[in-house]
Amino acid sequence: MTYQEFAKRAMDYAQKIGCASSELFYANGESFEVNANAGEIDRYSVSREAGVSVRVSINGREGYAYTERIDDPEKLVDHAADNAKCNESTDDHPMQTKQTYQEVHREDSALKHLSESERIALAKKLEQTCLALDPRVKRVVYCTVGYDSGAIVMENSLGLHAERTSDSSYIYVMPSVEDGVELQTGFAFFMGTEAANVEACAKEAVEDALNKLGASPVDSGCYRVLLKPYAMSDLLTAFSPMFSADEAQKGCSLLAGKEGETIASEIVTIWDDPFDPVAPRAFDGEGTPCIKKAVVEHGVLKTLLHNLKTAKKAGTESTGNASRRSAASAVGVSPTVFRVEPGKLGYDELVRELGTGLVITELEGLHAGVDEVSGDFSLKAAGFLVENGAVVRPVSNITVAGNFVSMMKDVIAVGSDLRFGMPQGGYVGSPSVLVSGLTVAGN
Amino acid sequence: MNPTPTGLISELTALAVLKEAQKSGADYAELFLEDNESTRIEMIDGKVESANYSRICGAGVRVLLGTQSAYAYCADINEQSLMDTARAAAAALGEAKFAPNGEITLSRNNFTTPVKQRFDSIGNADRIDVMRKGARAIKAASPEVTQALVRYLDQVQRVTIVNTDGQFVTDERPRTRIYLQAIAMNGTEAQTGYEGPGCIRGFETYREVIDVEKHAKSAADMAVTMLHAPECPAGNLPVVIDGGFGGVIFHEACGHSLEATAVGRNNSVFCGKLNTKIAADCVNAVDDGTMPGEWGSINVDDEGGKPQRNLLIENGVLKGYLIDKLGSRRMGMPSTGSSRRQGYMFAPTSRMTNTFICEGSDDEEEMISGMTEGLFARKMGGGSVNPPTGEFNFSVAEGYWVKNGKIVSPVRGATLIGKGSEVLLKIDRVGKTMTMAPGMCGSLSGSVPTNVGQPRIRVSGMTIGGKGGAIE
Repeated sequence: MTYQEFAKRAMDYAQKIGCASSELFYANGESFEVNANAGEIDRYSVSREAGVSVRVSINGREGYAYTERIDDPEKLVDHAADNAKCNESTDDHPMQTKQTYQEVHREDSALKHLSESERIALAKKLEQTCLALDPRVKRVVYCTVGYDSGAIVMENSLGLHAERTSDSSYIYVMPSVEDGVELQTGFAFFMGTEAANVEACAKEAVEDALNKLGASPVDSGCYRVLLKPYAMSDLLTAFSPMFSADEAQKGCSLLAGKEGETIASEIVTIWDDPFDPVAPRAFDGEGTPCIKKAVVEHGVLKTLLHNLKTAKKAGTESTGNASRRSAASAVGVSPTVFRVEPGKLGYDELVRELGTGLVITELEGLHAGVDEVSGDFSLKAAGFLVENGAVVRPVSNITVAGNFVSMMKDVIAVGSDLRFGMPQGGYVGSPSVLVSGLTVAGN
Repeated sequence: MNPTPTGLISELTALAVLKEAQKSGADYAELFLEDNESTRIEMIDGKVESANYSRICGAGVRVLLGTQSAYAYCADINEQSLMDTARAAAAALGEAKFAPNGEITLSRNNFTTPVKQRFDSIGNADRIDVMRKGARAIKAASPEVTQALVRYLDQVQRVTIVNTDGQFVTDERPRTRIYLQAIAMNGTEAQTGYEGPGCIRGFETYREVIDVEKHAKSAADMAVTMLHAPECPAGNLPVVIDGGFGGVIFHEACGHSLEATAVGRNNSVFCGKLNTKIAADCVNAVDDGTMPGEWGSINVDDEGGKPQRNLLIENGVLKGYLIDKLGSRRMGMPSTGSSRRQGYMFAPTSRMTNTFICEGSDDEEEMISGMTEGLFARKMGGGSVNPPTGEFNFSVAEGYWVKNGKIVSPVRGATLIGKGSEVLLKIDRVGKTMTMAPGMCGSLSGSVPTNVGQPRIRVSGMTIGGKGGAIE
């Protein structure tokens, strides 16, 4: 059965059994990933995927069902209808109607036009480049090159039709270095139009590893902290649910009802920019046209992020932030491309501005050591000790603890070095950010 | 859904696919087919917020040539797609050269899990009844509990594994889990407590094994206790870690570094350490995939291997690793029935099952009463590790500060960090009663259910992260 036949039968059947509206979300994709190890292809994976989710509304209640077997539309709709009937939420979740979208230009990602053997060669070169950079690089723990492409099609009984294709290219590498005394690992990740730049990726990863040699903890205490882009964007990713109106309406966000209030230092501006070249898109996970907006402007919370459901409940408009983590997931809320507006200071100037304190280059344990409800975090960290504006030595095996909401008020400088972190469902970027005080546990 | 002892594919088709996969010279080929139906329901404050059904269905073909591997998969199990997928996997190893000679004789092995009440024999109303019990018990525990969140999952994963070693294996894997979360609030602050029991069984689990109300109360108590807890002080001090989910320390600090994924690539601190001392004398540890009904148990591993009880550490001495087929080729050691994957979208690799520190002989009460100052970590949160360095981190979900042998206050926001190789040597007490708790473990081959476990233990010194001042 073709997908078109499946879709038509599903929507006809939904209407027949009394669904007020029905919607189909179809996603397909192809992916390629290769890992090089000791000059050989070590892991290699290619795939072709497709799945469809149906969402129905019966008596104001919605239900979902997803399948990868495009063979029995009626069974799928029955599952969705069953799920709708047991839903007790009184929140109305409207479906989007027919829309027009602005044209979005997307640069081809770097690996799009490479052949498979060229991509494999790139992985081997990434490993080789790391090994050649410094004799202390003994091995490369992993060294991965990947390319994904796919399409989504959304259509519903209210006339919505939205579709797009997308692709992504990425490389990442973890070299390990040894100096006879200890072993350290480094990491770098490049994506999009930068994903073929193996020299820069290797150099960044090897420097990251070498910089950690000789690292030790610092004494426990309160430090001024400069969070480098990866660390800051990881924190912002972990706490991005705070900006979701869905979390706010469930009583799970400290930012609930704070629109118009100052929630951060006045030098902090955060954009949700669906048109950012890193991952531009014209519509969100419900087919609502996307808009660019400041979420925090000079420290003031301008808006929470809404989908159609949360907007209706709050008596406002959707901000175009409906999301589906995958075709199998229900509609939620998340940022599109979320980034902290860069300031003017370069990294060296920020280190001078820091004076005495810590530079934090990486944070670990973000899936466990953050409480997105309370804003508290306590995370394993690594970086450098800085005294009188100069880097003194590397630091590891410490934890950094604070509260995200109060930390945002304690921002005293924002750098010019915007970088995006490794995407974890969404794209989040930040420049280096200097904060006045975080609690460090070490010696 | 009907049991399918015949599998998701005919023998004839399977053999044709394997033959195609070997055309570029692979010395081993394997086909993994999956048909997986699941139901997820979410309830907020006693009201069903969403219900979702999903059916994942696809297949993966893996080829090995020496220590090279390639994997291809597709979200389809018809013959044409499988042949295309086999060709894609084969192409990664080079040009198609020859058809492998030699007939493969398949020997069949069909596994099922004993289930009294199948998930396809119940309706959403049955699931919701169980959830509502949990939600009510959370709310009833204290007026400070402002919100109850209950998530329910049941899933039946049916797999067929066929390989050029001649195995044709089918397995049906039902499992269910209920996640109970309480939020306690007082004006400006909010704290969370949770429990997430699960079983490899049918729906009878909720009558016979899991007491939802008991777990709900425990989640609520944890949220309320933490609401009144000051921030944990930072420092390097002794830590007592309770049994059950406390075993996550061993899982992170040691378990991942014993997987062939790390060891076979020389990326583990425990490489070349077999039969040497890596832990204190009081430490014995095991990974056992054969325990009936346990969350981390398997009937058969994801490349057709037989699960076993793997002794990892005996009296502080390293005795074994966790090895899959590819790891076995790299390491020159037999595989240990440890190959697992989330589903067809992942090539299998060495993973843990039910992993725990075995029972010791120390008195649980004395561990606290004999401590001058330190942390009692009653419930752990999650954590992670970097296997090449062995550096790990994990969060403490429910902690208590101990001074002069007595618990003086609950503390919140604690994190524990360290190096696996150092912490294992610093374990100075192991209690008498081992308990386990379920979790989802994420690694190269996706997210798989694993149990962690241990008796109560004490570590003589660890870095405790927190942002609180001294506790008097």
